[in-house]
Parts: sequence; structure tokens; C-alpha cells
Amino acid sequence: MENYHNIGTTVDWIIMLVYFILVMLFGSYFGKYNRTTSDFFFGGRRFSWWLIAFSIVATGVGSHSFIKYSAKGFEQGLSSSMAYMNDWFFVPFFLFGWLPIIVYTKIRSIPEYFEKRFSPSARFIATVLLLFYMIGYIGIGFLTLGKAALPLLPEHFTILGSTFDVTLMGVVVLIAIITGFYITFGGQTAVIFTDLLQGFILLFAGLFLFALGIDYVGGFNIFWNLLPAEWKLPLAHFNEPASFNFIGIFWQDGVAGSIGFLFMNMGLIMRFMATKSVDEGRKAATFNILFMLPISAIVVSNAGWIGKAISIANPDLVSPNTNPDQIFVVVANLVSHPGVFGFIMAALTAALMSTVDTLINATAAIYINDVHRPIKKYLKAKIQTEREQEKKELSAARYSSAAITILGVLAVLVFKDFPTVYEAHGFFHSTLTPPLVVAIFLGVFWKRFTPAAVISSFIGGVALMILGAKYPSILIAPFDHGTPMDLKHPYTYIQALYNTFACTVVAVAITYTTPWQKGIVESIRKSANAKLIFSSFVIASVIFFGVVVMNLGSVWLLLALSILLSILVAIATTHYVKYDEEAQTLGLTSWSLDKAKEFFKGGKINNREGEKVIIDWKIKEGDDDVIFFSTDELQKMSAEVGDLVYISDSRWYLGGLKSIHSKIGEPHNETGIIYITKDHFESGQFVIGKKLIAEKEM
Amino acid sequence: PSLLNTWIPFLYLYGVGGIFFFAGLIIVKKSGSLDTTRKSHKRWMKIMLWGFFYFMFIHAFLIIAALYW
Repeated sequence: MENYHNIGTTVDWIIMLVYFILVMLFGSYFGKYNRTTSDFFFGGRRFSWWLIAFSIVATGVGSHSFIKYSAKGFEQGLSSSMAYMNDWFFVPFFLFGWLPIIVYTKIRSIPEYFEKRFSPSARFIATVLLLFYMIGYIGIGFLTLGKAALPLLPEHFTILGSTFDVTLMGVVVLIAIITGFYITFGGQTAVIFTDLLQGFILLFAGLFLFALGIDYVGGFNIFWNLLPAEWKLPLAHFNEPASFNFIGIFWQDGVAGSIGFLFMNMGLIMRFMATKSVDEGRKAATFNILFMLPISAIVVSNAGWIGKAISIANPDLVSPNTNPDQIFVVVANLVSHPGVFGFIMAALTAALMSTVDTLINATAAIYINDVHRPIKKYLKAKIQTEREQEKKELSAARYSSAAITILGVLAVLVFKDFPTVYEAHGFFHSTLTPPLVVAIFLGVFWKRFTPAAVISSFIGGVALMILGAKYPSILIAPFDHGTPMDLKHPYTYIQALYNTFACTVVAVAITYTTPWQKGIVESIRKSANAKLIFSSFVIASVIFFGVVVMNLGSVWLLLALSILLSILVAIATTHYVKYDEEAQTLGLTSWSLDKAKEFFKGGKINNREGEKVIIDWKIKEGDDDVIFFSTDELQKMSAEVGDLVYISDSRWYLGGLKSIHSKIGEPHNETGIIYITKDHFESGQFVIGKKLIAEKEM
Repeated sequence: PSLLNTWIPFLYLYGVGGIFFFAGLIIVKKSGSLDTTRKSHKRWMKIMLWGFFYFMFIHAFLIIAALYW
């Protein structure tokens, strides 16, 4: 495999440096729109769908990145775009299940949902699993950045007479330090606007590179005819090779990855929560999947396709043996002039930096919400004023961001031995998403799903997954659809199917046997040694899990122990966890969304569909968070007193940056005018003389 | 290219993927969160259905282009 070094000129480096500085300045300008930690993490629920849809591009392209897709484009052709074109299957579940639930229940993080829907213990385990997932994602981001930077650097450098080799891990550590400075402490609003700018630049840079590449090989017809037939196909071969096959990618990316991306990626979810309403979130998600992802597929893969065509036409320019993870940098340098190459590299690495940035911000949000606050509450920390608490939490958020960055660097060690970033990411998705995906999915769409079932599927499911990883030829082979087993990295992709199946079977079996568990618990409670018996169940569960992890026994013994472990965990949970199905599913599953809306509004919902109105405004004395409309306007909006209302500057291109949410007060008779308070005026940063636009929420 | 590289993955993708998609559509409709008696929800239902066939068309078009163009 051929590796490259020292690609790029001084002009390229200068352009990259200037680009990074401009992006940072742009982001810090929007830091002034932060008012609270809610803004720091969530951007304050006010933005238009188009603004969020474009800001997601940088996150989507960054994480599903140009390095790994160009590598697969070079090795396999157009089928590298598969992962961008298989996200539609779970859209109904997301748009009308998970998205309205996370908005209307006002949860701040996914683990918080687990506490409301199940129990604090379910929240604790979900937090641990989610932190693993997020830190793994950050590790993949750092690995990609390292692989992007490596070809630009010399093989070694000399300082004070000593020679140092440039290694992947060394580059990753350096990048992590730069990310620490780069991270926009402006919070989510700054991240959204930085990503919005970068989304546009990224699409332009990627498509520009494609145009340059096509021009370089002599036009589209020549490019198309140079590609072998297999390289033109949009879907990979059904079940081979082990390193890239349709069936594995379908289950790993199309199922586990799509659900993980839409349901578990806090970075993305926080973007949707920053939209002004659920319907705007739906529009942002739909537009992103229908249009932005297919365009992004071309943006991130085309360097690999061009590289393949050049390697056939002129193998001296691009060797067929080029390291696939370096093909993007090699092709970008070949087809563009000095300076242009610097711009393309800057656009793509800055976007990747943004992705890592977004993920660190999201992971810090989980830390504050699901570790920091519960611990403070548990320790009964002395009551502080709201301002003091805000200040302390913001500083805790920053310290945790630094700690998360270090853990992300350590995660690179797990992934760096895979042949390409693509396979590392595939392995990561296959192993870390199934337990949470199954738990969220069944929690949202199945009322009968109990805390005993969710905790058993976390613990028993993970035990079965560990067994699968240790004995793939026995446990995963029945699911492999004929995929060959690579001995070094067995079933990188198709293990997602086995893992999802294992977690689902435990979850469903434990749910359906709930009456039996209750019967067993009742009969044990009647005995004199009830406390001792339940304690021994917990101790036995811990021992069994340890035996499975340490692989102490034959596969069949360990399989039996995993099943027994699931049963013991279910019985212990049924005993220890208080659960009221009626109360803990109300407004928390897709079967009672109207209730969720009522909780959100704090009263009866008004489903009548009205129109938006453009109005002038005046300031009225008072502190109440209500806005006063005229009777005519209320009629146009189909709104009533007490309904929630969203008011924004009427200039559409601001995308909701200057806006507020409030409630409707008693009507007056001055048509075309609303009365707002001084607080509304300051909070919305409205401009005197500029009209506002109002719409009823829900 | 063999069928294992063309129409078999296509059929599996939209067969198994279609089961997930239509199961999702039926569940959100039955649970009432997608209320097609409302004008805006009816439009969303259409968008979701058209989206499914839009991706199916893109994949079919690309396979045919690879085979015959």
C-alpha cells in the first residue's frame, strides 16, 4: 500500500490557517445570542427549518466523512453512496414518534427520557451506554482528522538535532489540542451559525472538486467509460467481500446506523430541538434526508471515483495501490491548483472539526444533565441562586468538554487498527448502537415495554453481544447471509443484525413474561428471607456478567448464564423498581402524544389550523409572560387565550434568530398591533420599526 | 455484473426496508400521532410515501444506467 507525505504548498497552508481563523471569528460573533445554558446547549428553540437543514449538512458530511467515503469510492465505486441513500425507512418513526416526544416532554437528553419512561436505574445504564457511543463517535472524528492531516505532513521532523517520526496518534493528539481552542464556547447558537456557513462552503468545495476532477480526466463521458461496470453500480455486491458488502452495510448503516443517527445522536437531536416547532423540525429532517444527503454523497465520495478513473487511465499519476484513506488528499491535490487545494482541505477539515465540536458539546450536555445534576441532587448540594448555579454549570460544561476530548483521543486507539476509517466506523455502529436503539424504539412505540425488560435488554443483551464477539463463527454465522468471515475483524457489519436481534429477543421475552415475574416476586416477598434472596439475585447477576466478560467457560455454558442473567435482572428490577404503566407511558409513547402536547402547553390543546399574521408592536408595562393580540388577529390565527405563540422578526432571512415564544393574553381591539413586555423586546432582540410575524404553536 | 450485484440487493433493500417503512407508517397512524384527518398531516403522509418511491426510483435508475449506458 502506497502512503504519501508532504502534499500541499506553503500557499495551501496559509489559506488553511486564514480559513480557520475566519470560521472561529464568525462563530464567536454569534456567542452573544446565548442567554442561558439552555441556549448554550439547545440554541433556544427558535430557528427556521431551512437554517437548521443547512447547518446539519456540516455535521452530516463531517461525521459521514469525505475520507472514508472517498476510500470506499476508490475501492468499490458508486456504491460508496449507499449509506447516504438508506435513511428513509425510519422517517415515519422519527417524524411522528421520537421528534414530537423529545420536544413536547421537554427532555434535555436521551437518558432523561429513560428516567421518565422507566426508572432512574434505566437512566443510569442508558447514560453509561450513551457516553460510550458519543465518545466513540468523537474518537472516529479524531481518527478521520488524523488520517486527513497525515499526508500533508512530512514523514519526520528535526528539532534541536533530534529526529521525531510523524505518527497517526501524534497527529491526533495535536488535533485534539487545536480542537480545544477551536471549540466555540459561544455554545449551540454559535455552532449552528458556524455550521450553516460551513455547510454552504462544504457543498461548494465538494462539487467544485468533482467538476475539477471531471475536467481533469477529459469530460463526463470519458470519466464514466473509464470506470469498470462494477464501479458504476449504486449498491455493493450482496454478500462479499467481507470488507464491504450490501447486506452488512444495510443492517449496520441502513438499520442500526439510521436509527442511531436519528434517535441517538444528541448532536443532531439538539439541532432539531433548536427549531421553532415540531413541524419545522420535521421539515428540516425531511429536506435533509431527501435532498442534502444525496448531494452530500457526491460531495464526500467523488474524489474516490475520480481517483479510480485516473488510476486506470494513468497509473503513474495515481497508483492503484494508493492507501484508500489517502485517496481524497491525493486526488484533491492532483486536480486543483495550489491555493485551491488549501481551500478544499480547509473547508473539509474545518467541517470535520465542527462535527467533533458538536459532539463534544452534546456529550457535555449529557454529562451536565445526567451525571453532574443528579450527583448534586443526591449529595443535596447547598441551594444556590439561579445565577450562581448557571455560572457553575457553564464552567462544569467547559471542564467536562476538555475531559471528553481526552477520552475521545483514547478511543482512537480502539479504532486505528482497522484497514480503513469506514470499517472502524462500521464496527463502532454495529457494537454500540443496538442496545440503545432497541430500548428507545420499544420504549416509544410499545406501551407494554417495562423497566425490567429495558434493563434486562441492556445487561443481558450486552452479555449476548460480548459472547457474539468472542464466538462469531457459532453465534453470528447463522445471521451472515453468506458473508465471508474475516478472521482479524470478524463480521464487522453483519454483527449489527445479531446484536439487534439479541437485544430485541431479551426485551420482548421479558416484556411478555411480566405476569410471571410479578408472581415470582410476590411469592418471594412472602418468605422470611425475601431481602436476602433479592440481594443474592443482584450479586449472582454481577458474577454471571463477570464470567461472561472474562470468558470463563464453554460457549454453551456462557450462553445459558447470559439467559439466566437476563431472568435474574428482570426479577430483581421488578422487585426494586416502582413502575406505574399508566402514569409512565402517558405522553411518553407515540400512543399518547396528545397528552404530551397538553403537558407542554399546560392546558387543553387547540388543534385548529390558522394562518400567520404580520403585525406592528408596542411595549406594555408588566412582567407577565403574555402577549396581547387584537380579536381580528386571534381569529385569523384560529387562536385562543392561553395558546402558545411564536413571534419573530418578519425578515425571513434571519431564520428565527430574533424571536420569542410566549402565551396569548386577553384580546384588545387595535387591529394590526400586539403588546409585548420589555423583557420580550430584549429577549427577542427585536428592532424598533421592524414588523413581527406571529403564529400559533401546535 | 451478476444479479447479486444489481437487482437482488435492490429487492432486499426495498423489501426489508419497505417492511420497516410501512410498519412505521402503520404504527404512527394507528397510534394517532399521524392524524390524516388533519390537512397538514395528510400532506406529511404523502411526502413520506413519495420519499420512499423517490429513493427507489433513484436506485433503479442508477442500476439501469450502470448496466446499459
